[in-house]
Amino acid sequence: MVFFGPLQYSLAPKILASKSMMKWAQPLALWFSKQSGYKKYGLKYDDLLVEESDNVQRALGRLTPAESYERAFRLKRASQASVLHAPLPEEQWTKDGEDVRYLTPHIQEVQKEEKERAMWDTISVKRK
Amino acid sequence: MLAARASTRNVQRIARSFATVVDSAGVKVAAIDNNQPTSSITFLVKAGSRYEPKAGVAHGLKNFAFKSTAKRSALGTVRESELYGGLLSANLSREHLALTAEFLRGDEQFFVDVLSSFITSGKFTRHEFEEYVTPVMQSEVELSNSDPAIHALELAHVLAFRSGLGSSLYATPHTHLTADDIKAFAQSAFTQGNIAVLGTGIDQEVLTKLVQQSLNKISTSSGLTSSPSSYFGGETRIQSHGGSQTVFIGFGSAGAPAAELAVLNGHLSPAPSVKWSKGLSPIAASVPEGTSVQTVYLPYSDASLFGVLIQGSTGASVKEAGKAAVAALKSASSLKGDDLKKAVAKAKFAAAAAAESREGLVFSLGSKVLSGQTSALDATLSVLDKVSESTISKAASTLVGAKPTYVAIGDVSTLPYADELGL
Repeated sequence: MVFFGPLQYSLAPKILASKSMMKWAQPLALWFSKQSGYKKYGLKYDDLLVEESDNVQRALGRLTPAESYERAFRLKRASQASVLHAPLPEEQWTKDGEDVRYLTPHIQEVQKEEKERAMWDTISVKRK
Repeated sequence: MLAARASTRNVQRIARSFATVVDSAGVKVAAIDNNQPTSSITFLVKAGSRYEPKAGVAHGLKNFAFKSTAKRSALGTVRESELYGGLLSANLSREHLALTAEFLRGDEQFFVDVLSSFITSGKFTRHEFEEYVTPVMQSEVELSNSDPAIHALELAHVLAFRSGLGSSLYATPHTHLTADDIKAFAQSAFTQGNIAVLGTGIDQEVLTKLVQQSLNKISTSSGLTSSPSSYFGGETRIQSHGGSQTVFIGFGSAGAPAAELAVLNGHLSPAPSVKWSKGLSPIAASVPEGTSVQTVYLPYSDASLFGVLIQGSTGASVKEAGKAAVAALKSASSLKGDDLKKAVAKAKFAAAAAAESREGLVFSLGSKVLSGQTSALDATLSVLDKVSESTISKAASTLVGAKPTYVAIGDVSTLPYADELGL
């Protein structure tokens, strides 16, 4: 089990909730995501999630047809750019506002369902 | 003393076997307690296929039953009701959607909660529609298409009533349904005047109280509407292979279903009263071996369809049985004397026996509770008693005088045409 990673423990909800934290954390986060370089290839952060797991595969199946088409397009465009050893032209880079977590909510929902199933599988019943 | 005790017990039982209808939070509630060991609760919703704005929406709603709600997930609903040892089922007819829970006495609070949380807070998520609902709908559609009897009755309804009652119980494979369509249909269907709650093996007061608590926030807007049915009739022939050769000969009429049709059904039905014997029905004698003939009597709130379903292995045998059935249908207007008494007795028994079983009770009682009519069985039986030679001859001749609904499914090159059977 991985303890750290995009779908594991995260401070993001706490930072998002507080205005003063956002003030200094947001520029730092934007700088970091810019430095990671995926935006230059027109990708979104959720395109980078490891998809070789049952949960994520299930979540991918829950995207709308438009979302999954765009995801496939971004991945193809990025791999072509990678073949050419050059980032995309700057107007095709992902803008800060476009980098939406479109897949994470679905993965979290699937994880919640898994957890509930495990709960029902191991429940002990006391009848009053 | 023994006699006295027996008679008081009888009085109690008679008093109990009548369901009184109570309004609870604008929803009609009726319950019958015959001291059976299990209870059942049915939420009967006027959301059958005749009310659907888009083909297949009612079928989708039926299969969405017991999926996730604001209170519990689909898995939670199943696991929790398994822990209580209950059964959940959803049943769709052309006029009603019945959501039923059957359980041991005493667990009513949980099961009313399961049923009402679907009514009040069903989520209708897109992924559940794609992962769970659509596969089941597809397999049900396939099953209905592979059974020529179901297929014939679906086609007969289309020919007989066109829109409204004519719309199919099953989704068509080529209409595009979304979870949002079904959600919108559910929102317009799950309203106060559209729902009746029927309980068996449960105390009326307890049920009324539970319904009051759980359905108090339900929308009051007027429910779905459907234009009144009218009867058309027509003929169709469908080539199919694999199933038996099937012919449906039917007649319909608009207006509230008449008791005469139930009597006619009792008269013509070739189902024998004793196993392995031929019945005394006028059709039974001239049906060739290996061919099955069933009468089909489908009363709806404002129309009825009556007919004969014939299934056999070859077109020739179906033709022979069909001729006999048409001859019997046409001569039914001269039903009199002992034959009429016999037919009335059979119809009365069928009506009474249907009220005995849980499903039959829900469907015979439910539509009456929803439309606010009297719910006593005695009323149904006394109407059957009033059928006389003159009323039945009038009813039968107007029925047969209408344009027939004729459906042939199977090898169309050998199956008979309607006029070849004397229609």
